[in-house]
Amino acid sequence: MSADAIFQPLQLGPLTVKHRVLRSSLGGRWDNYDGSGTSTRIDWDSKFARGGVAAIISSNAPVHQRGMLVANYASIDTDERIPFWREVVRRVHEHDCRYIMQLVHAGRERILPGLQASPTGLSATDSPEPLNGFQAERMNVEQIREVIAQFVAAARRAREAGVDGVELAGAQGMLFTQFLSSAINDRKDEYGGSVENRARFAVETVRAIRAEVGPDFCLGFKISIRDHMNELLPWMRSGNTLEESVQICKWLEEAGLDYLHVSVGGGFPHPRNPAGEYPTANVVATYDTLISSGSRTFRNYLMFRTWPLNKGFRWWWERPGRKHGIEGINLPEARAVKQAVGIPVLVTGGFQTASVIAGAIERGDCDAVTIARPLIANPELVNMFAQGLDRAPRPCTYCNKCLFTFLEHPLGCYDERRYESREQMIREVLSVYAGAPLPSEVVGATQL
Amino acid sequence: MNDGAQAAIFEPLRFRNLTVKNRLFRSSISGRFDNYDGSGTQTRIDWDVKFARGGIGTIISSNSPLHPRGLIVPNYAHLDDDDKIAFWREIGRRVHEHDCAYIAQIAFSGRQRDVGGIQYEKGLSSTAKPEPIHGLQCERMTVQQIQEVVDAFAQAARRVREAELDGVEIHGCNGYLITQFLSPAINDRTDDYGGALENRARFALEIVRAVRAAIGDDFHLQFKISAVDDNDALFPWAGKGTTLEESIQVCKWLEEAGVDGFHISAGNSFPHPRNPAGGWPIEDVIRSYDTMLSSGTRTLRNYVLFRTPPVNRIFKWRWEKVARDRIEGINLPLARAVKQAVSVPVICAGGFQTASVIGGAIADGSVDGVSMGRPLIANPDLANMFAQGLDRAPKPCTYCNKCLINFIENPLGCYEESRYSSHDEMVRQILSVFQGAPLPAEVT
Repeated sequence: MSADAIFQPLQLGPLTVKHRVLRSSLGGRWDNYDGSGTSTRIDWDSKFARGGVAAIISSNAPVHQRGMLVANYASIDTDERIPFWREVVRRVHEHDCRYIMQLVHAGRERILPGLQASPTGLSATDSPEPLNGFQAERMNVEQIREVIAQFVAAARRAREAGVDGVELAGAQGMLFTQFLSSAINDRKDEYGGSVENRARFAVETVRAIRAEVGPDFCLGFKISIRDHMNELLPWMRSGNTLEESVQICKWLEEAGLDYLHVSVGGGFPHPRNPAGEYPTANVVATYDTLISSGSRTFRNYLMFRTWPLNKGFRWWWERPGRKHGIEGINLPEARAVKQAVGIPVLVTGGFQTASVIAGAIERGDCDAVTIARPLIANPELVNMFAQGLDRAPRPCTYCNKCLFTFLEHPLGCYDERRYESREQMIREVLSVYAGAPLPSEVVGATQL
Repeated sequence: MNDGAQAAIFEPLRFRNLTVKNRLFRSSISGRFDNYDGSGTQTRIDWDVKFARGGIGTIISSNSPLHPRGLIVPNYAHLDDDDKIAFWREIGRRVHEHDCAYIAQIAFSGRQRDVGGIQYEKGLSSTAKPEPIHGLQCERMTVQQIQEVVDAFAQAARRVREAELDGVEIHGCNGYLITQFLSPAINDRTDDYGGALENRARFALEIVRAVRAAIGDDFHLQFKISAVDDNDALFPWAGKGTTLEESIQVCKWLEEAGVDGFHISAGNSFPHPRNPAGGWPIEDVIRSYDTMLSSGTRTLRNYVLFRTPPVNRIFKWRWEKVARDRIEGINLPLARAVKQAVSVPVICAGGFQTASVIGGAIADGSVDGVSMGRPLIANPDLANMFAQGLDRAPKPCTYCNKCLINFIENPLGCYEESRYSSHDEMVRQILSVFQGAPLPAEVT
């Protein structure tokens, strides 16, 4: 195999990244409950920079407290947060790695919204999120303008913090998806109905940010090209078609984007994202904590605990991955977008094999890939590619235990089969805290 | 407030090896402010300093696990390794700046692990029977394991001294591991550590002797004990557990073994209707208890009960009935009885927040000092208010227990909205604990 296609620089508008593998947005609840950042977040991100990725896309950073998915993620909702992100960037840059901040407003998709939040999330609709029953309030035009202004302010802060670019979290059921998706958006005004109307919120946000940050700052958009809502809940409509999404991508490009980041799924998690196993025991152990977040969660929890319902759900959940394969599951969508737009296309979805990645780039399916779970398993994956390995000796198994553990415990690889022992796994997972500052080093930091 | 009460409260208290400036102790309260691996954070320091600034004479730390298997809930600073000493030394330094003493509470949860964490599947206990309320699983300790835990207590105590703190409190109450040995309602052993009172007390006495040997004779050591189990508080068909007479005997033995002071609590579980005595906030319970569903075998049953009217209302009535007549000073009769039997100072926990009540209890010889948890969460400056002559805070703690119920999922703080001008003000106040988080530029 040849990994040559991987190790070519790529231009994302004004930003050059050294090669074609980026770390996707993944987080862990490392930060303080109020959205202030910690050195654990910095150490976590630095680990991947050291492992050789060309750029890191940050954990989702809420642009407003009402837009939080889960508490304990560093936010970008006030100017006070700027010094934290500046330090993250400084540390990541030490490894010749670029840093792109992902800006998010979760809308109604609030998994553990925290105590600051009002009881409802903002959304295109007032129907609750269908899987968990997270409550929503339909935004009026005034609120839409306010949220756009929040994104603009967040982008300005990101730029002031010295990040290399921002990416809007428009995939996986976040607020942008809630407007874009025909399966969710039920508005009758100029922000709902036709594709053009449904795209208006995203397009206006991109234009407004571009006007704020100027032409020389990288701006990307992560989009679910297909919602596949009915793969999650069979009684729902599927949502946006490929053709509709490709059209939306063209409009976003015109509005001033530097790259598109392709994903799928109108909610998170979704059977296609992250595609793979549905680890029943881990789900039962973790899902309990969000029962108080929605009106359908307790029903789900009982189902997840109850045989054979949980077996059936698991079979249903794992079906798309079984049918289409996991590594590169989104490449057909990326190809369709790439053929329609002139800006670079990034794609996510289970990548961890150099030849698969290189092949996708050479075929012109995409310009670069983003990786999440396989990097949790092997933070050094890109360095391994550079040394000529096609795959890590102990690859990610797509067991999804990382995903179904992080709400209650530290994010890390929880697939015991990948370790010599359970103790080794625990040590590895907890090693993220090894760099926590000793108090003697933080002395003088606070003057309260 | 009368001058006598004020004088009694602000009279220094002399233990054998430690003198503190007044009779007010911050009890062990905490919040999940630290890292999951047990390393400490700036937030913990700022949290404790708040109470030191408020005029409290002594802070007793959050429960500090002396081994990862002994944690109650993750995200509490540990004392399980020498690499933790620097953190505790810094807390001590910051608290001392306010002329406040700092006592570290060393703890081992045993089977009472509300959220056990990823390291160990089961807790250790005197028994193999699961904890009865949530169905938290455990394994019966072998004599070898008992010796290991005794030694771990001694090591943790040595670290407290090396961190230049002012004393050690052994967490021997509220249903945690030491209670699991002391209590006849829990301990079902047939070896040297079970059966007769002398046997049930053996584990606690061995810990005290080992700790004393590790810290030397000139370092403060106090013991927190549930003077009564009240094991039948919720379930009338259950046995009573340890009686006051038995506890007094245990305290006498502990004093002989080298304890310099006692801290009196009650109840052989946590929470318990007597501790913290007060409200059962149904809505908050429903919102927070979900996190514990994966912790035990009886949690789902409880959760359904907590959600279901009228069963949840009956439970609330039953829970609150135990302390309906008296919350503030609920444990004073117990403390008085212990104080009459021992010669070292006795402090007492249980709803204290009125200067005249506290001063009166000290003046009439019931106790030498009091410890406070919830009232200080509500009013961290309470001691300063007493010093200024107030008998009570203008907005006292309502004993609603929302702080207790919320801390598993949310930052510890006062969640009684009626004490604030608005919900937003409450949230701001709760989140203010994070304001001192170090800027990264300063930590590198």
